[in-house]
Amino acid sequence: MDLEHNFEIARVAEFILSHGFTRVALQFPDELLRDSMRVVKALRRELNSSVKLYVMADTTYGSCCVDEVGAAHVNAECVIHYGHTCLSPTSTIPALFIFGKASISTSDCARSLLKYGLECGKPVLVLFGLEYAHAIPEIKSALLSDASCLSGSVSTSEHLFADASCSFISPSGTFGPANQPGSIDRRVENECLDEENSQNYKIGGLSWRLPQGRTMEDYSLFWIGLDNPAFSNVVLTFNSCEIVRYDAKEDRLIIDLSQQKKILRRRYYLVEKAKDANMIGVLVGTLGAAGYLHMIHQMTELITKAGKKSYTFVMGKPNPAKLANFPELDVFIHVSCAQTALLDSKEFLAPVITPFEAMLALDRGSQWTGAYQMDFGDLISSTPSVANKQSEEARFSFIQGGYVEDLDLHDNDEVEKDEILALVNVTEKALQVRDEDTRSLTKTVAKSGAEYFASRSYHGLDINGTDPVPAKFLTGRSGKASGYKDENTHR
Amino acid sequence: MVKFTADELRMIMDRKHNIRNMSVIAHVDHGKSTLTDSLVAAAGIIAQEVAGDVRMTDTRADEAERGITIKSTGISLYYQMSDDALKGYKGERQGNEYLINLIDSPGHVDFSSEVTAALRITDGALVVVDCVEGVCVQTETVLRQALGERIRPVLTVNKMDRCFLELQVDGEEAYQTFQKVVENANVIMATYEDPLLGDVQVYPEKGTVAFSAGLHGWAFTLTNFAKMYASKFGVDEAKMMERLWGENFFDPATKKWTSKHTGSPTCKRGFVQFCYEPIKQIINTCMNDQKDKLWPMLQKLGVTMKSDEKDLMGKALMKRVMQTWLPASDALLEMMVFHLPSPARAQRYRVENLYEGPLDDAYANAIRNCDPGGPLMLYVSKMIPASDKGRFFAFGRVFSGKVSTGLKVRIMGPNYVPGEKKDLYVKNVQRTVIWMGKKQETVEDVPCGNTVAMVGLDQFITKNATLTNEKEVDAHPIRAMKFSVSPVVRVAVQCKVASDLPKLVEGLKRLAKSDPMVVCTIEESGEHIVAGAGELHLEICLKDLQDDFMGGAQIIKSDPVVSFRETVLERSSRIVMSKSPNKHNRLYMEARPLEEGLPEAIDEGRIGPKDDPKNRSKILSEEFGWDKDLAKKIWCFGPETIGPNMVVDMCKGVQYLNEIKDSVVAGFQWASKEGPLAEENMRGICFEVCDVVLHADAIHRGGGQIIPTARRVFYASHLTAKPRLMEPVYLVEIQAPEQALGGIYSVLNQKRGHVFEEMQRPGTPLYNIKAYLPVVESFGFSSTLRAATSGQAFPQCVFDHWDMMSSDPLEAGSQASMLVAEIRKRKGLKEQITPLSEFEDKL
Repeated sequence: MDLEHNFEIARVAEFILSHGFTRVALQFPDELLRDSMRVVKALRRELNSSVKLYVMADTTYGSCCVDEVGAAHVNAECVIHYGHTCLSPTSTIPALFIFGKASISTSDCARSLLKYGLECGKPVLVLFGLEYAHAIPEIKSALLSDASCLSGSVSTSEHLFADASCSFISPSGTFGPANQPGSIDRRVENECLDEENSQNYKIGGLSWRLPQGRTMEDYSLFWIGLDNPAFSNVVLTFNSCEIVRYDAKEDRLIIDLSQQKKILRRRYYLVEKAKDANMIGVLVGTLGAAGYLHMIHQMTELITKAGKKSYTFVMGKPNPAKLANFPELDVFIHVSCAQTALLDSKEFLAPVITPFEAMLALDRGSQWTGAYQMDFGDLISSTPSVANKQSEEARFSFIQGGYVEDLDLHDNDEVEKDEILALVNVTEKALQVRDEDTRSLTKTVAKSGAEYFASRSYHGLDINGTDPVPAKFLTGRSGKASGYKDENTHR
Repeated sequence: MVKFTADELRMIMDRKHNIRNMSVIAHVDHGKSTLTDSLVAAAGIIAQEVAGDVRMTDTRADEAERGITIKSTGISLYYQMSDDALKGYKGERQGNEYLINLIDSPGHVDFSSEVTAALRITDGALVVVDCVEGVCVQTETVLRQALGERIRPVLTVNKMDRCFLELQVDGEEAYQTFQKVVENANVIMATYEDPLLGDVQVYPEKGTVAFSAGLHGWAFTLTNFAKMYASKFGVDEAKMMERLWGENFFDPATKKWTSKHTGSPTCKRGFVQFCYEPIKQIINTCMNDQKDKLWPMLQKLGVTMKSDEKDLMGKALMKRVMQTWLPASDALLEMMVFHLPSPARAQRYRVENLYEGPLDDAYANAIRNCDPGGPLMLYVSKMIPASDKGRFFAFGRVFSGKVSTGLKVRIMGPNYVPGEKKDLYVKNVQRTVIWMGKKQETVEDVPCGNTVAMVGLDQFITKNATLTNEKEVDAHPIRAMKFSVSPVVRVAVQCKVASDLPKLVEGLKRLAKSDPMVVCTIEESGEHIVAGAGELHLEICLKDLQDDFMGGAQIIKSDPVVSFRETVLERSSRIVMSKSPNKHNRLYMEARPLEEGLPEAIDEGRIGPKDDPKNRSKILSEEFGWDKDLAKKIWCFGPETIGPNMVVDMCKGVQYLNEIKDSVVAGFQWASKEGPLAEENMRGICFEVCDVVLHADAIHRGGGQIIPTARRVFYASHLTAKPRLMEPVYLVEIQAPEQALGGIYSVLNQKRGHVFEEMQRPGTPLYNIKAYLPVVESFGFSSTLRAATSGQAFPQCVFDHWDMMSSDPLEAGSQASMLVAEIRKRKGLKEQITPLSEFEDKL
């Protein structure tokens, strides 16, 4: 496709010039990296030489978020973000998002939309992947013409289109067009606010306004785009609505989304599992999204209040091998933007949950009602109702199928001190303890990392081997590490 | 109408020698509840006329509807015995008043846990056996359970009316049948010889066997008749008793007793001559309405009827006459009072079974002496739903001390470890309650030796607990109960309206509390699972869940889900290898099936992670032919660190092996919980670590590298060792007449079951059939069977073992592979089994 058109070179150049930025970072996701040089060249032609352009790639976290740390390395004044985005608010640097323009057959899409609208008999709310934002006006007009040529009879269906928010984001609240049409104040994020605002919704860069007296449940959702995290986000957030997806690549409507619905149930399971956790890791999954720091603090506070132990990790994109290096942790909370937060793979040793789910799991007063939130912006405002009035009744664990009692770190200070010193104590008594350890194959539940280490079967060098007889002298391996000579005999 | 007041009841509670705590146990439909009615009627709680019909202890609507008992129900009864009746009683007593704390228990095998809970808090058991059906599978199960708890049994041969009315057998034949019942019961009891408990067998001539007709409300022991005839013949009562049972014959012509049948036609067995025949005569006279003959006969027996009763006809007349002549309550009460132990006596030997702590501490002594002044020791055996929804009574037995309203108690839960704070609460008892028939009475306090229900503790007691005084910090808990059945049948439940989910969650929590056997869990896919002991149990649980615990909110239940196990048929075809994500570490492994019987030994806990390694290697080498050294190299058991699979280290001279052991174990716990076929638990697999290549830098062989790799290599070795599925199998016992056998066999065949024992019950037209039936096929089995045999056969199913399915799950189109696909679909996994190539790496 036309580079100029697809990457909106003119608009970007105009944006840079109008704001007078001189150091600009261009952030590309991996799949667009190959176009980066051409984009830079094209931009260069439009801009004068005083503007310095930097290409950023291979972000530490999800490529949908603005890599603010990367941009700060070059003292960039603004970031131009290309490709798929979650439109999470930034915390320090203004950013312009270029969504890209994916091809779509607008007439086909309009036809399916119309057909679906007639079938479901409910008003339809049209949501879309941001890469299709460019085609929405066309679909709208196609829909109108289709509807009018439909046998004179007045179409009973009603279509409401979401708007793509403004593609320009400035650090939260400092400057920026709060009342600009098509964009809603970022600071109000809650699904339902007070009376006059109660009809405004926004999710993943889309926003819409429902007519007075309507709720989301009255609408059927029609998603245009791929089955990607943005879509999962919508499915989870509006799980009580009927949702269909129009796949623009294959030009067909996918009505059966039971697999998507299963995600929600699966998340529910993970929440239950998190309730049983004693040690929880907080994974830092973003260094850009506004409020992430606050969220991390809130999470650690929540964990401590719930009487559990928390550890914070910064490890870039989490993968099974990285997380399995901490087998003592029972669950991880992934603090990141809405679209990278959902990490569910059976490959992970411990489940990875979102901050919202953590709130459900750790705050004993809260209940899983089906409502779901992905953005943590709104979680920040809702301070947990913990107040630590934990009922004394034992907690029912669905994982173990019975009532269990939580280990409470706050039992008394003495215990707490003991834990810190657990490793020290054990090493002091290493000689006595060691024998017991090798004897039993059971492990007690550890309350902290130190305790877990103390209960490991391996404590370091075996000075006094179990066998007093000197070991036999053996010939070692020879050959290359990729396959020693003796290993070939196994085949 | 109730013949006693709460105050009277409370007073007698202090006389520990005048209390009997007993449960009524039997096979399903042998007449426990009906018989209990007569006892309740004698205490005046229900009218004598309706006894046997109301089934007073079946308090739930569904119990009445189905005609079976579901929950065990406790009831306290007060009796005033006559001096005459107690004349022969040698034991200690204080006055003539007796308190019987009676618990009626369910007979259906699905509710065995209720029986277990009942037995724990009683000292004696009335074993009810249908005289025609004889000792059945559940009779045996509950009897064994009772004896295991050191509960002294007495027997009643029930449904005598069937002999007279339905079968009309003659005396000798009836005697043989009864003799057989007693003998069969004694065979079971004889295996529980115990120096403390003494001889537990029952003997009619000693008065520990009664003969009853629960439906008609009459019963007798040989004592009744012995007393009558002793005075008549002028012989000693005890001697007369002996003559009334066994090989003692009387010839009225010669008026002589012989120990052999003389051959003379008038010579008859003592029992037949003096017990059976007179009863038969009376019954026949009543049934034929020969009132002119009846009245003189009754007069002779010293039975006087009220005038209005004289107008009764036929069956009603017979019932009334028999009830007046041989009231069931008298015979049974006498048997209980004379032959069942009082708490004071029973606790002396039961303390060993009950108390977990040292048997010479203050608490053990208090229990042993049933000391009301000692520290409180109270065991809560079950939670009974109260009338206000969602609350529970904690029901249990006071073993020592006193529990009173407002008392502050220490609640030690099942996971309490003395000296720790886990599972321990200190709370106030809001109210102490006793059951008087259908209504509850609040009492000030309840002393030891009695059953009691408490209000206000339900939040802190999950299923059972031991209570003691607040300050008694050294007390050990009372031993947890062992259940004979396990929850194997599972259904997934969800609510019809999505927003009812919180109600469902709350309901499941309460359900789990109300029944010790039900398990509520959640699947990986997020479905709520309710597991029960059998189809019927589950049905009742779900009904309770919906109606009582969720306030009627609609639920949808799935078809029953059966869990399978994954195992291997033979040793891996080759040593498989997997590489860590960084390619620097390699694990080599083989899988092989565990020796036969070893998984069961692990299940039973004979071999486990907590054993002394020396003992373990002894058992393994002696019984299972393991190498002694190898037995020391077991790394772990799994899943959940105790399951019937293990990892054994077979490597030689591998550097850093100790360091990765924990990681391999973690990978094993994970893999053995979710096998490669359908993510079901593994069973009976031994994984042998053959060789390990590790990177020299510790950071490159950390958990992150090893744990996922270990999991992959476990899967790879499993898949190369001819993986198989195992399915759970029931042991089914069916009792039916000969003409129903054909139907039973065809239904069993159809359901993949196979019969391994068929036996005719001597003296009856009934056959006893034992068969194995896959649990998967058991759903709807009862109803199919009933239909095929026109209601004559009633099966009892108990989980028995895991059976390997012969078909290969890796072969497309085989039965096992279809099963695997089905499970995977339900769990939301990819339908195809992940191929071996995903787990195994090449050099």
